[in-house]
Amino acid sequence: MSNLIDVTVTVNGKQYERTIEPRLLLSDFLRHELGLTGTHVGCEHGVCGSCTVLLDGKAVRSCLMFAVQAQGHEVMTVEGLGTIEDLHPIQEAFWEAHGLQCGFCTPGILMTLVPFLEENPDPNEEEIREAISGNLCRCTGYQHIVDAVKLATEKMRA
Amino acid sequence: MRIEGEYIFNGPREDVWEIIRDPEVLTKALPGTQSLKQVSESIYEGELFVRVGPVVGSFSGRLEVSNEVHPESLTLTVEGEGKPGFAKGSGDVQFIDRGDGTTLLKYAGEVQIGGKIASVGQRLLDTVSKSMARQGLGAVDEALQARIKAKTGGEQVEYKPPSEVEFAAAVAKDMASEVFSSRWVWLVVALVAVIILAIVFITSFR
Amino acid sequence: MTKSYVGQRIKRNEDPRLLTGQALFVDDVQIPGMLHAAFLRSDYAHARLRGVDVTKALKREGVVAIYTARDMGDDWKPGPPLVSPPATVENVVFHSRTQVPLVKDKVRYAGEPIAVVVATSRYIAEDAVDDIVVDLEPLEVVVDLEKALATDSPRVHDDLDSNLAAHLSQEKGNYQAAREKADLVIKRRFYIDRGAAAAMENRGIVAQWDVKSQQLTVWDTTQAPIPIRNGLAARLGLSTHQVRVIAPFVGGGFGPKIMMFYPEEMLIPWLSIQLGRPIKWIEDRRENFFATTQERQQIHDAEMALAKDGKILGIRHSFIHDTGAYDPYGLTIPLNTQSHAMGAYDVPNYFSELKVVFTNRVIVTPVRGAGRPQGIFLVERLLDLAAKELGVDPVEIRKKNFIPANAFPYEHKIIDQAFAPLIFDSGNYLPAMEKAVSMIGYEQFVKEEQPRLRKEGRHVGIAVIPFIETTGVGPYEGARVTVETSGKVSVATGVGTQGQGHFTSFAQVVADQLGVDVRDVHLVTGDTAEFHWGTGTFASRGAVVAGNAVHAAAKAVRAKVLKLASKVLNTPEDELELKDGLVRVADIPQRSISLGELAVLANPLRGAVEPGTEPGLEATDYFGPRYGATAFAVHAMIIEVDPETMMVDIKRFVVVEDCGTMLNPLLVEGQIHGGVSMGIGHSFYEKLHYDENGQLLNASFADYLIPTSMEVPRVEIGHQETPSPLNPIGSKGAGEAGAIPVPALFAQAIENALADYDIEILETPLSPNRLFELVHGKEKE
Repeated sequence: MSNLIDVTVTVNGKQYERTIEPRLLLSDFLRHELGLTGTHVGCEHGVCGSCTVLLDGKAVRSCLMFAVQAQGHEVMTVEGLGTIEDLHPIQEAFWEAHGLQCGFCTPGILMTLVPFLEENPDPNEEEIREAISGNLCRCTGYQHIVDAVKLATEKMRA
Repeated sequence: MRIEGEYIFNGPREDVWEIIRDPEVLTKALPGTQSLKQVSESIYEGELFVRVGPVVGSFSGRLEVSNEVHPESLTLTVEGEGKPGFAKGSGDVQFIDRGDGTTLLKYAGEVQIGGKIASVGQRLLDTVSKSMARQGLGAVDEALQARIKAKTGGEQVEYKPPSEVEFAAAVAKDMASEVFSSRWVWLVVALVAVIILAIVFITSFR
Repeated sequence: MTKSYVGQRIKRNEDPRLLTGQALFVDDVQIPGMLHAAFLRSDYAHARLRGVDVTKALKREGVVAIYTARDMGDDWKPGPPLVSPPATVENVVFHSRTQVPLVKDKVRYAGEPIAVVVATSRYIAEDAVDDIVVDLEPLEVVVDLEKALATDSPRVHDDLDSNLAAHLSQEKGNYQAAREKADLVIKRRFYIDRGAAAAMENRGIVAQWDVKSQQLTVWDTTQAPIPIRNGLAARLGLSTHQVRVIAPFVGGGFGPKIMMFYPEEMLIPWLSIQLGRPIKWIEDRRENFFATTQERQQIHDAEMALAKDGKILGIRHSFIHDTGAYDPYGLTIPLNTQSHAMGAYDVPNYFSELKVVFTNRVIVTPVRGAGRPQGIFLVERLLDLAAKELGVDPVEIRKKNFIPANAFPYEHKIIDQAFAPLIFDSGNYLPAMEKAVSMIGYEQFVKEEQPRLRKEGRHVGIAVIPFIETTGVGPYEGARVTVETSGKVSVATGVGTQGQGHFTSFAQVVADQLGVDVRDVHLVTGDTAEFHWGTGTFASRGAVVAGNAVHAAAKAVRAKVLKLASKVLNTPEDELELKDGLVRVADIPQRSISLGELAVLANPLRGAVEPGTEPGLEATDYFGPRYGATAFAVHAMIIEVDPETMMVDIKRFVVVEDCGTMLNPLLVEGQIHGGVSMGIGHSFYEKLHYDENGQLLNASFADYLIPTSMEVPRVEIGHQETPSPLNPIGSKGAGEAGAIPVPALFAQAIENALADYDIEILETPLSPNRLFELVHGKEKE
């Protein structure tokens, strides 16, 4: 705990300054330092994708990054995507298509989809499956997730 | 798991036998070896420190030499334990005079591995152990060359062991194809630890 | 009642919170002053513990305390046995050996906790774990199920004569006599290996002991908060009212989150009391592979006797079931295997002998399916082999043997997992089978497509597997339904929820009874402060047992509403209707009163309450089924195998499900998709590899491969509803169903696809590697 470092990170548009250990993972920083517990940690080794957040708009695994590496960058978590009163179209689509069950992997999947749908607003099923293939889900068997993504593209086009 | 392999030393069998038995050389040749003591005629004890990437671990090892047939063969029994897990096993090492001034070292043994190393590194162990053995034995061979030169030419050549970083980098390079095709990166670390242990037990601590 | 919610595809009440990161999971609990725990676990699978030196670890800055078994004094005691056979079950051998909070003398599996560190952060706690020096003397390891039973085997529990944990035989009819009359006897040995539940959320516990109020609050990723509360109170010498257990949102359960008690579950609350501080422990993924229970390993020597027309005369099997290092869950799994080893068939003669063995491996408790996939694998494999031998179509041989629709309730004359007679309450198997066969296009595929593709050199195969699932077992669940003065309805039930959608399906039941909008029904599950009678979510029983308890409580509230409204509106009850949050006179809709106003009237602040009435519009009721409801389903699949890589490509996957009356078909389909996905994993990708020293060799998601979106196909679902006569809703469980037949389905489909290689698949899970070995003639290791 001797060598603490000051970091300044913008998360969901809000700037945070904290003094932290250099070894603190970005996922732990978001969850425990900032209280943004919507980002979940499922495997701590970068496989399951639950902890996916956006770093300067790109999907990254927050369990594979140190918080200090986010110094000066912009992070977006699921809390920045939409609110209960005002859901993002992707969130709405997941709700309507029953794209989640326990909901643990969901924030990571949503954050993976945001840049994917920006890049490819009209993906086919194969492309959707490939896009989420780095996100493990144990509940849904992925089918309703795929349906939700299709629905989301319709909503976003409208 | 079974470990086996061979290595050709560019020197006569007697010299190879001798250098393999020299803790001084081995401590230097194997980066991370913090200490290596001969506690009796046939027993060595040592500490091996491993650091690659974010994982750091220390192994305490004990090695016993038996069935010595000078300068042809010996049996090694090893037990090591530390943060990354444990390893124990035994193996036979043969020194074969190839008749051209070089020596073929053959090793084969069974090693039981447990803890983190076993549970996360299994898939790559075989490939990596061979790679690590080659690197470690290469370093011993360099020391051997230095010694032979000193003996024949009378000139003092200082043996410069590879640094820990160079050593790890060489291993990582060998592993690269495997690792990148796997879903995992940091597991390299645990593996390096195992393999160093494996080398220690199979080939080197002599 | 006007619009009915039950049976509709309603989107879920709980989703907006989950979708926006606003749902509370255990690791989200933050309490000021909270400490963090990490465990030192054994690297060895079997070892004598000679000593633990924590001197260095204690010196580390930020470390608050370290406990070993010795430090626990008299509070060190093994966990309670969860399900022991009652004395009424005859001729059963059962040795109960339950898990311990920390290893005292001997380590019995790799990963068993030896010491716990409590520190100001998890990072520091883990650093300190590495500082601890443990002196372990390795012992010979018990891994092989058969060798474990040899007289000279080392023993997992030194105080027992052998590694035999349990022994039980069951017989129906007379198998031996049936065998003598048989035209054909198929006899094989089957191997089933271990898989993990691998819920995306690892386990976790937060415990907070409040000294001043003498209250213990525990947030736990459990499927059974009420039994945990009761057990904790008993262990800690507290009254049950001093302990509140909350299972908030839980990130997937699948069985292992109902083990009682895990060492960490016993320790963290105890530590919180010892130290007077809130403490959090969150399992990491590698720990999850060692510290969370697993399932499935069994070896069966089985035979089936048949007449030449394909009619089953009897089944006999003798099997060994691996329970790991301890057996806290009793005989649930192997008894389930017995209950399912006759499948959906009218089997007149059956003999089954089970032996449960202790081994030096992670503890075994139910994982989605809980012994059922093994039973179904066995009977379906035997039928496939028989069909081949007799030259009968695999679909036809199954149809021939189904329990006929007029035979229900069908009593099997053996006992089930609850030690009660195994009775199938209802069913109608043939139409569901025909529906599946037609949906997959069986005839057309077998007669036209397959021969055509085979001619092109392609290895395509089809499989159809029907199966039953015993679900919805007792003892009971309860619920409380309250109409708030706002007119909204709150519901509390004791079961935990791990993604099944109880917040919605139960709300649908209540909304129908009380004529309110389903979004106005607020459900609380898994908080013992809200409801404290019940057992938990397991055995596919949520919708059946808790669902019917909710139904009963809602009906009781409806009766109160009608009684009061009748008085207020001066109208007989049978002329009133509940609609849109109002009670109104059916013929004169403008004469009405809202539920909220009625709730106010039901709880007056002044005046007299009539004798014999209760305040409020609230009721608590319970439901306990006489015995379990038996669901039925058929899975059908078309695959193509690449004979070079042995990868299996699933072309089509059809499920016809009959889980009685469905509360919400959308949620049922979600359960089926997830079950199929796990079934695919447990059939072809996932296997826990242990070496001969009891070391688990693939303890990460990089090596233990759970299916991704690329491996799981689209599932086409057909429904059939045969309501259960055992409960008012008519529901049967569906939570585990999807996973149960898939190993048998893969085996049948692969054999069919690789017909020209003439292989027999007698084991599960498979993998491309293993399939390659089978095809190229390598025997089981």
